[in-house]
Amino acid sequence: MLRLPPFQLEEPKSLYAALVLLAEAKGQAMIIAGGTDLLPNLKHRLFEPKLLVSLARIEGFVGIELQEDGALVIGPMTPLAQVAASELVQERAPALAQAASLVAGPQLRTQGTLGGNVMLDTRCQWYNQTYFWRQSLGYCLKKDGTECHVVKGGQKCVAAASNDTAAPLMTLQASLCFERLNEKRELPIRDLWSSDGIWNKRCDQDELLTSIRIPAQEAGHRGAYGKLRTRESIDFPLLGIAARMTLADDGTVSDAELCGVALAARPSLVRGVSEALTGTRPGTDEFTSGLESAAQLAYKQLRPVDNVPGSAWYRREMVPVLAKRTLQAAARGDGPVHPL
Amino acid sequence: MRVLQLQVNGDTLETAAPVHWTLLEVLRYRLGLVGSKQGCDKGDCGACTVLLDGKPVLSCLTLAANAVGHEVTTIEGLAPKPETTSEPALDPIQRAFDDCGALQCGFCQPGMMLSARALLNTNAHPTRKEIQQALSGNLCRCTGYTQIVQAVETAVARVSGKTEPDCAWVAELARDRAQIDSAPNEASPSSTTPGPGAPS
Amino acid sequence: MSARDQHGLAAPHGEFQIIGKPQRKIDGATKARGSALYTDDLCLPGMLHAKTLRSPHAHARILSIDTSAAQALPGVHGVITGQDMPTPYGVIPWTPDETALAVDKVRFIGDEVAAVAAVDEDTALCALDLIHVEYELLHSYQSPQDALERNEPAIHKNKRGDNVSKRVQLDFGEVDKAFETSPVVIEGDYSFHGSTHAAIEPHCALAQVDGNGLLTLWSATQITHYVHRALASVLDLAPHRIRVIQPAIGGAFGGKSDPFSLEFCVAKLAQITGRPVKMLWNREEVFYAHRGRHPMDMHYRTAADESGRIQSVDAKILIDGGSYSSFGLVTTYYSGQLLTGPYDFPTYRFDSTRVFTNKPPCGPKRGHGSVQPRFAFEVQLDELAVQLGMDPIELRRRNSIGPQTMTVNGQRITSCGFDECLEKVERASDWKSRRGKLEQGRGLGVAGSMYISGTNYAVYPNDMPQAGIQLKVDRSGVVTVFSGANDIGQGSNSMVAYVVAEELGLTLDMLRVVAADTDLCPVDLGAYSSRVTFMVGNAAIDASRKLRKLVVSSLAEHWEIEERRVRLVGGEALDLEDPTRHMTMAEAFQIAEVKHDTLGATGSYNTPTLGGDYRGGSIGASPAYSFSAHVVEVAVDEETGHLDVREVWCAHDCGKALNPTLVAGQIEGSVYMGIAEAIYENHQTNRFGLHAGPSLLDYSMATTLDTPEIKALIVESLDPEGPYGAKEAGEGPLHSAIPALSNAIFDAVGIRLRHLPFTPEVVLRALREKREAERQTASPGNNP
Repeated sequence: MLRLPPFQLEEPKSLYAALVLLAEAKGQAMIIAGGTDLLPNLKHRLFEPKLLVSLARIEGFVGIELQEDGALVIGPMTPLAQVAASELVQERAPALAQAASLVAGPQLRTQGTLGGNVMLDTRCQWYNQTYFWRQSLGYCLKKDGTECHVVKGGQKCVAAASNDTAAPLMTLQASLCFERLNEKRELPIRDLWSSDGIWNKRCDQDELLTSIRIPAQEAGHRGAYGKLRTRESIDFPLLGIAARMTLADDGTVSDAELCGVALAARPSLVRGVSEALTGTRPGTDEFTSGLESAAQLAYKQLRPVDNVPGSAWYRREMVPVLAKRTLQAAARGDGPVHPL
Repeated sequence: MRVLQLQVNGDTLETAAPVHWTLLEVLRYRLGLVGSKQGCDKGDCGACTVLLDGKPVLSCLTLAANAVGHEVTTIEGLAPKPETTSEPALDPIQRAFDDCGALQCGFCQPGMMLSARALLNTNAHPTRKEIQQALSGNLCRCTGYTQIVQAVETAVARVSGKTEPDCAWVAELARDRAQIDSAPNEASPSSTTPGPGAPS
Repeated sequence: MSARDQHGLAAPHGEFQIIGKPQRKIDGATKARGSALYTDDLCLPGMLHAKTLRSPHAHARILSIDTSAAQALPGVHGVITGQDMPTPYGVIPWTPDETALAVDKVRFIGDEVAAVAAVDEDTALCALDLIHVEYELLHSYQSPQDALERNEPAIHKNKRGDNVSKRVQLDFGEVDKAFETSPVVIEGDYSFHGSTHAAIEPHCALAQVDGNGLLTLWSATQITHYVHRALASVLDLAPHRIRVIQPAIGGAFGGKSDPFSLEFCVAKLAQITGRPVKMLWNREEVFYAHRGRHPMDMHYRTAADESGRIQSVDAKILIDGGSYSSFGLVTTYYSGQLLTGPYDFPTYRFDSTRVFTNKPPCGPKRGHGSVQPRFAFEVQLDELAVQLGMDPIELRRRNSIGPQTMTVNGQRITSCGFDECLEKVERASDWKSRRGKLEQGRGLGVAGSMYISGTNYAVYPNDMPQAGIQLKVDRSGVVTVFSGANDIGQGSNSMVAYVVAEELGLTLDMLRVVAADTDLCPVDLGAYSSRVTFMVGNAAIDASRKLRKLVVSSLAEHWEIEERRVRLVGGEALDLEDPTRHMTMAEAFQIAEVKHDTLGATGSYNTPTLGGDYRGGSIGASPAYSFSAHVVEVAVDEETGHLDVREVWCAHDCGKALNPTLVAGQIEGSVYMGIAEAIYENHQTNRFGLHAGPSLLDYSMATTLDTPEIKALIVESLDPEGPYGAKEAGEGPLHSAIPALSNAIFDAVGIRLRHLPFTPEVVLRALREKREAERQTASPGNNP
């Protein structure tokens, strides 16, 4: 079978021990959480780290906690299945629960973690392949090569952020806590992403994500996630859209937001959605026409390229459909939108 | 190379394997537990599914070292101990898979049955949709899943003491429906039942 | 055909005890417990692990190979290249164009170049990196059109100097005249994409040479006998020094029918190293090995009269064969020869050309060669029905050929339950009251088909039996059946057990089946062309009846009664007229053994002479044909193009269901595979000539959630020559699922999909084109 390359493995039991190991490794180590993304990538020889630092045995890394101010704090090793099934998350951040419930298949949601999904490597049809395969076409810009096969002459890798949970976390204005030995910082997830598909995060590879914080949402918060993929299980997103909506006491929309993933290296917020919908009441013609406007805004702003498998044309045509249906689901308080 | 002390199917087994070996490799090529299968190399097919503390995981994407300290259940550990010496024991899921024709080539089925067992452990009366959801990470190329889902439903029914649906139903279904449907002026039983997966 | 090959429909003792009833498989509990042993589960002392070096180029000449560094790597025990086994082979003996490893050229990305045996896989992989190959790149043919238009450089040498693998042109009757005189002609282009088997078990082989020089190969093959022959030829080793065994196999579907590189490589490496050698392909390698469904571009014309009676069919088909012949000669014939039933029409012509391209080689996938033309033709029939304003089921009924007839190309139809298939799906789907009356976006479609139950064309010419069974009796009452047939999950070992138990009055726990081992079992030609139930079932009846005769006559003599009074049933022998006289079968066998000495029997089956009296007339000629009809119900999301296949009803005429549970499983699996390949799967190369996504992630196979509700309806036409009337059930029920889906989409939303696959993108584009066309027709500006 396809084999893992040799590496050393450490399974620290404390955060401190993990931070020490990472500091000592001086960039030669990689962090492994659930392993569902990293291990296939290692089997593909996309990375050949000397050391893997496993987070599996660190105490206190699993759990979902409701804080006094109404924020949710989720441990990075909390399995996606647990996030999806959590009543706290379903109530307070429904889009996240829905996105987590649609990552891959059942086993991978048992193993895969929320932290791992946030830190997922970007994906591309020319990249997520075996060494033999990549060698046969002369490699690519993201790994071992100089040429981009998606954008002719492209100098910047356009591999796609393919993490379902990134989109809802963006709309929920989550913040991430990163730690290094003697160093700790809080980073709004909206500041995490860069447009470089090779490494699309504004953190170092040896910085450790130690918690994910979702601030309390306004009263009347609604959220939903919609996912386009070939099959109804197992697959990565070909397009994912998270919707957030706030309904005022009178039932009209007071705020709304959309974020798309599986487009480019970073998840993309759609501008102008709130303006299009604010003041309308779900179920009315005004709301419907607001949805159309929001969908058109998404269509103009979210432009998939041929990075992940499948037709970019089709993914783009599905942007307004998914945007509209996901906003509708949010307004109704249901979802996820899947299959379309 | 690392010495591993693994809890597998109730036994504590000690073995040594390179650090970069997965749980699947250690189970198959060190412990001789070859019932867990390898189909896709990397987490795409579910044939290597085992239970880790009762939950279904892919052993091809689990480092063997990470499994230390957890209870691993493979297909070899699914059947209970026989109650008599003359009758081998089977888990109700295994028995139903056999009765319902769900075992064609049998290669994906160890993983499939463990996914089904994990489902029934947390949900004793799943709906058909819940069964399909729970098995959606296990690819089968032979059966079209029909007899697999019927087998899980049969296992559920038997454990609940119901006689229907049962294995005979699987085969008679095909034959009886054909006969019923041939009868003149007989309304089709399926005509009013919508299938699952209605578009949203 | 001799008397031994026809056994009648009746149960040996009046009523069937086992046959026709749901039974467990004899290996069911073993598989349920995870204790069935597949090839990679086998491990021998001192075993080495082998890996293959593959070509990164689609078409190139090999200038040199340097293996010295690999040979020198500690832990490496053997390195081989094409020069070690230069003898060409091919599963069809007329087209031997493969070698175990590339000799002078590579013909697709993934073609095998060298192999290494080492102490473990990691070491073998390191050694592969040390092999240096110099290539001279050649023009790579990525489309069959390019391969037709251009001859240099030829992918294979042939006398014509072109890239044509095989061309078959056959004419039956006055086709042109029929088209000139028929009032209705439908004409169109259709295409079928590539798909692959993707059995969940990857190919694996293990070889060992014992102290006497006997080479034993365990392999995940569905044709043990051909692997045996090919090994003898390529290794230049006497066949009696080779034993081939098929362990439990994790699915095949035609994808394990050819002899494969890894089988030769482990054998050679075992010879060189003196140690057992195993090779397990990874999933990517299985995709390169392929042998899957041929992509076809098809042009069809159908002529009919006003009543809907078909007058003629004219087909021109271009087949993309990929890089090697494999079964391609047969594929090319099948693409035309298997279309004529289940319909009766007086004239027919087809012109099929298979060309080589620099892509993974195509071969036989479930419904070999005939799924693609069936798609085109059954969609065209739907177009004909629309043009005539006729119910498409009625159109098919009107053209149905019926039993005891002959197709236009000379195929003998014996039993035929096609009309009943149509009737069953019509009723089960509530066709009459629902078709055309469903809400917008939802539709029903129908299609029919026919398939072979084995073929009388043995791939190498010989007059020996095509199937053989040997029975051995133990004094405990156990009968061991030695069957050459390959159980690939379809349950052929169980089938022979059911037959022998029925004939000898045994219970199933008294049967042992030893199968697919060339040392122990009589020759069977393997699990392909849906031949096993028909042929091996008949051979099993033949052997059992010979043995039964010995037992019955011994008991009659023992009890001093007439033979007709002796019954063997449920593990016992008894006198029908005297209830006090009975004994266990163990005792009965012992009495027979006293009289006849050691007991045993052999049985065989061979086909009658079949087929039209013309070159190629025997290809596609089968002793019996199965028939299927499908109705598919689909809901189309007109905004997204997403297809929701709600339900599929498939009625299949399997002659007689020896075990209805297993027949239903074959029907359901076929329907699943057909619908899945129509919507989700696409085996294609990208612009580099490289497989676009050789993994079970990128090659999307339907999960439980993507599979429709499948309703299997069994039709039993009782074939006069089948075992108890049985015919095949494993391949036929795939065919018409795909055109029925296309026809259902037309019924739902009015778009006619003639080109597979039906991805949401394809559906959406067609919907938009239709809307655009409607807008233009409606717009007054278009009519100045």
